[in-house]
Amino acid sequence: MVGKDSLGIRSFRFLTGSLLIIWLVLPLIPLAIWSFAKGWFFPDLLPTHWSMRAWEYAFSDTSGVIDSLWLTIGISLAATVLSILIGVPAGRALGLYNFRGKQLVELMILAPIIVPGIAVVLGIHSVFISFGLNNTVSGVILVHLIPTLPYMILVMSGVFSNYDPAYEAQARTLGASPLKTFWYVTLPSIMPGIIVGGLFAFLVSWSQYVLTLLIGGGRVVTLPLLLFNFATSGRNDITGAIGMIYILPGIIILLFTARHLSGRNGAVGSFGQI
Amino acid sequence: MKNQINAGLLACALVLAPIAAHADTADGSSLIGKSWDEVVSLAKGGEVNWFLWGGSDNINQYVTEFIGGILKDDFDIKLNRVGLSDTVEAVNIVLGEKESGVLDKGSVDMIWINGENFRTMKQGGLAFCGYTETLPNNKLVDWSNPAIANDFGVPVEGCEVPWSKAQFAFAYDTARTNSPPKSIPEIIDWAKANPGKFTYPAPPDFNGSVFVRHVFYYAAGGVDNLLGDFDQAKYDEVAAKTWEILNDLEPSLWREGKTYPASISALEQLYANSEVDLTFNYEPAGVGLNIENGVFPPTTQGYGLTDGTIGNTNYTIIPFNSPNKAAAMVLQNVLLSGQAQYQKALPDVWGAAAAIDVSRTSDDIQAKFASLNPHPNVAPAAELAKAALPELQASWISAIEKGWQENVGN
Repeated sequence: MVGKDSLGIRSFRFLTGSLLIIWLVLPLIPLAIWSFAKGWFFPDLLPTHWSMRAWEYAFSDTSGVIDSLWLTIGISLAATVLSILIGVPAGRALGLYNFRGKQLVELMILAPIIVPGIAVVLGIHSVFISFGLNNTVSGVILVHLIPTLPYMILVMSGVFSNYDPAYEAQARTLGASPLKTFWYVTLPSIMPGIIVGGLFAFLVSWSQYVLTLLIGGGRVVTLPLLLFNFATSGRNDITGAIGMIYILPGIIILLFTARHLSGRNGAVGSFGQI
Repeated sequence: MKNQINAGLLACALVLAPIAAHADTADGSSLIGKSWDEVVSLAKGGEVNWFLWGGSDNINQYVTEFIGGILKDDFDIKLNRVGLSDTVEAVNIVLGEKESGVLDKGSVDMIWINGENFRTMKQGGLAFCGYTETLPNNKLVDWSNPAIANDFGVPVEGCEVPWSKAQFAFAYDTARTNSPPKSIPEIIDWAKANPGKFTYPAPPDFNGSVFVRHVFYYAAGGVDNLLGDFDQAKYDEVAAKTWEILNDLEPSLWREGKTYPASISALEQLYANSEVDLTFNYEPAGVGLNIENGVFPPTTQGYGLTDGTIGNTNYTIIPFNSPNKAAAMVLQNVLLSGQAQYQKALPDVWGAAAAIDVSRTSDDIQAKFASLNPHPNVAPAAELAKAALPELQASWISAIEKGWQENVGN
């Protein structure tokens, strides 16, 4: 839109950008230092004793961190893929069409974000037990869809509300099959939305605690479960080490998708406009 | 509706049945009184899911590596340690399963438990009871000791097995404080003379609640009047005095008592960073582990009070719907063995006091216990035991916690 930004705007953007990065990265530095510290007391600027013990524990068989890392990645990826499969058609319906009871459907979709999870988790538990889904990885993946779907559907309905289905009609009149139309016309134009929604879904699933604990029945041990054990008991060194491992996948995915999150693409811009 | 659920459960049970390759020992009553060899052979090749607080790498390593190793090598049982942030999470799983009609396919085989959670399990019919005589190592337990036979005032009655003992102890930094206060009235005076240097976690934090009970005992002029069932009149009288003492103390606390630490780990962080000068814990051995793990300065010293500190026994319990009861019983029997209790008492492993009567163990184990070198900074268990106070019944405890929140922590 604007060919050349003025110097003022550019330096303002640089300043806010750096502030944001500092604000995001700064809290991670003490976490990283703690993971190598053996005792770090106020007012010392740096720990007086260094140790690899927290990392040795984190990588030991006893802690189960590495097994749990792979399991958590698998669960979150599966929840993300399922969220996309359900969220894209749902978002299309909500973004493109008006139908009776649409507002009610929207409310139902938003409900899991509005109602605190802790309030309904025991009820969910008994439903999952009656379906025989408790204590299984598939049950945990399914239950993660409850908090991930609202984000996915919200993003996709935002994308589709700015989407012109006439392009699809045009492709069809030019002889493309429905599959080809989807592949060459629909998918490329909604891709930024899928990436942003998928990222939300992945990170929401990645950070689930109560739902995983109850539905997984302790058999499905994801990283947040291990992390909480030490975070609540004041072991900053082990919390730091597991925490560094915990944030890794999020950072990797963020790097891969960063160019889609610039704020100028349709998915982010129209977020929230159902 | 009920029928539908039952039909659904039956279907699930049929689907899940082939997974359980080893013997299903959900029927606990058939195990009671069986010869131990039979129980062991039923447990062979199976697994046991033990849910316990997972916030200490030392305890985790002891359980997974030492206890898990014995189960694997000697009994061919796979120990699955499930770490919790709060024991009530495991109790809620069992409770949810019972409400949904899961009566023999539960996911929890054993919980490290005591106090309020035990009361919930026992009164809710969530515990497997009456089997303790079947464990060979049960003979090492001194059930005639009321501190073992009662869990926070609730009679155990064969529904759980003791695992460890703990007694409340304070700690201070010898580099900062010369002579720490050694009784509840001294602590109150000391806190007033050193404003901002003392605080306690807000009940219902487990440890904060114990501190408030010490003040409650002091206000009552001793614990003897408080034992037994809850007595409203007695409670009202003592509680009024307790809240007066604590409210009077409040302006001298850390941040003028406008806020209290939310958990014991928050208090320990305040202590480690020199914001407050006293800390305490129900597990006295924690001082040693915290020094070794770099959580506390190495100049920290644990100590007991001259007017006594409260002690408890903690236990392991088998839920009524555990499908691996035989394996859980084998695990409990291993935990009670002299060898496992000695390993647990080693200061660099855990340093926890034995729950068994050591004089009933073999000469070899007794000699090992006699040669234990406790961590020099930990308040010696024998010394603490000289002034041990009993726990109140859980009904008293919840009344005190609620009263504190309404009258002091508001």
